Amino acid sequence: MKNDSRKYVFWAIFGMTGFLYIMKLFYMQVIDDKWKLRAQEIAEKRREILPPRAIVFDRKGKKIIRNKTYYNLMMIEKDIEDLDTNAFAELIAWTKEEVRSRFREIRENEGYYYNPHTGKTTSNYQKIRAYPFIKELPAEEMVKIAPRLHDFPGFFKEETSMRTYPYRCGANVFGYLSEVTREEIEKDPFYKPGSLIGRSGIERFYEKYFRGQKGIKYIITSALNNVVRPFENGKYDTMAVQYPPVTLGLDIELQEYGEKLLQNKRGCIVAIEPKTGEILALVSSPSYDPNVLVGNKNIRKNYPKLLSNPDKPLFPRPLASQYMPGSTFKLLQSLIGLQEGVIDVNTGFPCNKSIVGCHSHPSATNISDAVKMSCNPYFYAVTRRIIQQKKKKDVFEDAAMGLKKWAKYMNSFGLGIRLGVDIPGVRPGLIPTPEYYDKWYGHLKWKFSTIRSISIGQGEVQLTPIQLANIAAIIANKGWYYIPHFAKSFGKKGPLKEYRIKHRTMVDEKHFYPVIEGMRRVVYEPGGTARRARVKGITVCGKTGTVENYEGKLKLKNHSVFIAFAPMENPKIAISVFVENAGGGGGTWAAPIASLMIEKYLKRKVEDKVKEKRILDAVLLNKYK
Amino acid sequence: MRKDSSILGRFDWPLFVAYIFLLIIGIATVYSVTFDPENPSIFSFSEKYGKQMMWVGISLFLGFLVFLIDSDIYRKFAVPIYLFTLALLVIVLFMPPVNGARAWLGIGSMGIQPAEFAKIGTAIFLARYLDRANLQHQKIKTVIIANLIILIPMVLILLQPDAGTFVVFTAFLFVIYREGISYDPLILPIVNSLPIKGLRFKKTWLGTHFIPILFVVVFLSVVTLLFSDQTFYLELLNLEVGGYWGVLFFIGVVAFIAYLFMRMIFPKRERKKASIIALLVFVLSGGLTAIVNVGFQKLKPHQKERIELVLGLREDPDGDDYNRNRAMAAVGSGGFLGKGYRNASVSSVRTNHVPESETDFIFCPFAEEWGFVGSFVLISIYMFIMFRVLMIAERQRSKFNRVYAYSAAMILFYHFGINIGMNIEFAPVIGIPLPFMSYGGSSMMSFSMMLFILLKLDSQRKEVLR
Repeated sequence: MKNDSRKYVFWAIFGMTGFLYIMKLFYMQVIDDKWKLRAQEIAEKRREILPPRAIVFDRKGKKIIRNKTYYNLMMIEKDIEDLDTNAFAELIAWTKEEVRSRFREIRENEGYYYNPHTGKTTSNYQKIRAYPFIKELPAEEMVKIAPRLHDFPGFFKEETSMRTYPYRCGANVFGYLSEVTREEIEKDPFYKPGSLIGRSGIERFYEKYFRGQKGIKYIITSALNNVVRPFENGKYDTMAVQYPPVTLGLDIELQEYGEKLLQNKRGCIVAIEPKTGEILALVSSPSYDPNVLVGNKNIRKNYPKLLSNPDKPLFPRPLASQYMPGSTFKLLQSLIGLQEGVIDVNTGFPCNKSIVGCHSHPSATNISDAVKMSCNPYFYAVTRRIIQQKKKKDVFEDAAMGLKKWAKYMNSFGLGIRLGVDIPGVRPGLIPTPEYYDKWYGHLKWKFSTIRSISIGQGEVQLTPIQLANIAAIIANKGWYYIPHFAKSFGKKGPLKEYRIKHRTMVDEKHFYPVIEGMRRVVYEPGGTARRARVKGITVCGKTGTVENYEGKLKLKNHSVFIAFAPMENPKIAISVFVENAGGGGGTWAAPIASLMIEKYLKRKVEDKVKEKRILDAVLLNKYK
Repeated sequence: MRKDSSILGRFDWPLFVAYIFLLIIGIATVYSVTFDPENPSIFSFSEKYGKQMMWVGISLFLGFLVFLIDSDIYRKFAVPIYLFTLALLVIVLFMPPVNGARAWLGIGSMGIQPAEFAKIGTAIFLARYLDRANLQHQKIKTVIIANLIILIPMVLILLQPDAGTFVVFTAFLFVIYREGISYDPLILPIVNSLPIKGLRFKKTWLGTHFIPILFVVVFLSVVTLLFSDQTFYLELLNLEVGGYWGVLFFIGVVAFIAYLFMRMIFPKRERKKASIIALLVFVLSGGLTAIVNVGFQKLKPHQKERIELVLGLREDPDGDDYNRNRAMAAVGSGGFLGKGYRNASVSSVRTNHVPESETDFIFCPFAEEWGFVGSFVLISIYMFIMFRVLMIAERQRSKFNRVYAYSAAMILFYHFGINIGMNIEFAPVIGIPLPFMSYGGSSMMSFSMMLFILLKLDSQRKEVLR
């Protein structure tokens, strides 16, 4: 047939098509990765699962930070059918108008996307997406809503975990959590929108520990963004791992008691176990219940209030408030004087009130006398000998050299340096160095008499309550310390290695005994300044301080300061107490508070109810005389 | 004349086996895609796989019936069969629309689509017509009737509207071409009426090869569309011109080059002819592109978008090109060996990223689960079937059988080419099923019947004397 050759046209078309299709399929399926990535974008999603944060125990094994299950009431607009706004509003105990405006709010919060190609602006809100309609409902409230939720298609509940603090104290220790910012998400891929991050306290310091190990699930999602099934039967999935329980050195009952003692006062208490450096209590007053900063809703409501409170409850006083130490500083001057050999145990100085003021007492004939009586002229003389050792001819050069050495001693006691406590916000205080005074007065333009107020813990010297408590611990240990810290163990692991390094001061052990004896006499001898610090059956060693302070030129009430450790023979607790603008001396308010804390810690209960009542009843908020 | 002893006669086993392979692959894929853990049995008739099993059963039964009936019936009853299918196509226009098209006869999922069966009716009647002993290939009547046989059902189908099946019917044009029907009777009067002295043709190359040329023209139209919205800069004239004029310019250049080429190889006395051919090519191509250009601007927006998407003028993965983008992601992510049976993540019905993944887009889940290896095997099976049908067509003694076989081959090719092509950016997204695999009763039954009629005709090919 003459048209027979036309069959080849068909063969050619079929053959070409088959060949081209196979080539193209080979390119798409084997060579080009574009479509594999596109498939991942479309259907193969990576879901990250954050484990609950680590739970935290105190030193006695009490659970002090727990996680509580909360619920988000989620909403998918596409699935909502004929919403009965009245009934729904009634169910969640809102008004109809609130429900409507919440819908608007969700939409607006998503923001808008401007497409530069088309010039169109579209909302990022998607009807097929799940959004939290009400966030962080406690289980008690969800129980009321849940049974009737099936009447409202498009709404469902989702579990979340939030912190809860059963003891309602320790806010400045624990800190709080809040949602991560966009910058934080960019910086650390661990987080995703809505994750919580520690903002202050140990929650922030140990963030990388407490948050645990993120789990990753690969799942197949549908076009409506619902989970269909695990990808490849979960072959590539990893589990979310909660961080093992963390134990703090904190004694939560002591903490709670301390906060109670400081109610209606401004001030702080820091208690440390001298042998380990573990912080037993870190009280900042006024404080607040840490539960008020749990969850977005609470933070939005309560944070501004706390921030605007003039007594600054959010300010971690024990770590960051830098006070003049007052007479407690005299302990250090004695120790340095003894070590430097500029005095010995039995050196006496007359109580010469012509240079510095003092109260009436007999002149101290030895170091422990001087500590007991807190004689200002005595320590003026001691410090003068430390600073002006007359090793250089020029008195100014001599002072600079002496001060430099003195500052080094102070640094070895953890003063004037930032103690690496496991909590953010720790400040270094101030130990003036020659350079410091050079800036004020000019090089070689100052000598001891210029800077003499440092000898009694006034003037330029500043330190934080935690440093002061650490001094008490150092004296209790007779010359060494571990950096104060909270976390004692992580699961089976001990504290971080920086808290296992023993720091030695530049003062030898033998020089501590006379000073400690003086501290005992402060409490137990007539003429001592802290009789109120006595605890029945326990030998308390302490030192009072009374810090003058001014607002502009107006003299305010004195701060009442006390440091102590006990028992003398085998110290188990070292403590510092500051009561701001309490009036009176260190013995009036700070000493009895310290003694109550010591009693509470060592005996687990307080027998001296009269003393306790006096403190609990005291309102010391007025700083003006 | 010798009757074969069995009803199977000279049965073409290879074609039948390939068909069975496709049925199995098809059911397995439908099962994978629409699997519902609540009804895991493949015979659960509430699920699509159960229904598909039923359709396959019915189709095989229909095939059995076809083999009981002597193949002569198709020749004898060609006219009634054709008229019956036309009647169905008319009746269906009065049915309530489903998804905007009046394509379904009957209720719900048990309905049938007459358009699917109209292919068989048309093939049979076209075969019957071209089989006439006194058919005159050069007469205007022949070409007009042959084209009308195709055109009538096409128009009815377009009224539904069902653009996919409409396009598939152009497959028959190739059959007409194969049979040597010349379009000259339509073309000569036009060409010869041109007021050019001495230009009188008895036969034109255009008329002889009208259909292939037509498809070249379609290709040219596509090129026109590609450039119609762009602008060209003509350096020679320092002129910026619109896309259409640019295309015209290039066609002119091509025609001029063709003219120079022809001047070189043609004898001197035929140079005039060369210039006329070149001019004709230019005028016709230019006219065509002009029509295409104007027509394109007048299309409905969604049609325009579809064409633009096909041509790659648009890229909008979440909007208009959603289906294709998802389909390509499914196919492309299959990789070399695929994700494994029942592991399609993009194209499973449960994820629903690719709509219609059990019907028109069934190639997607298959390619996703079996990868390139599976795709290669599947395409090979289809290629085998199509070549086998061509081979069968050429071994027929009767024209009727041959025309019918060519019709079957071309229809299979169209469905295969467009259906798989739309998964890989080689064809527009037109909703037509993949033969023997897509879920659906009408397509399963009509393709099976088409194939079984072919097998029956082939088995009795020796009985035909002519």
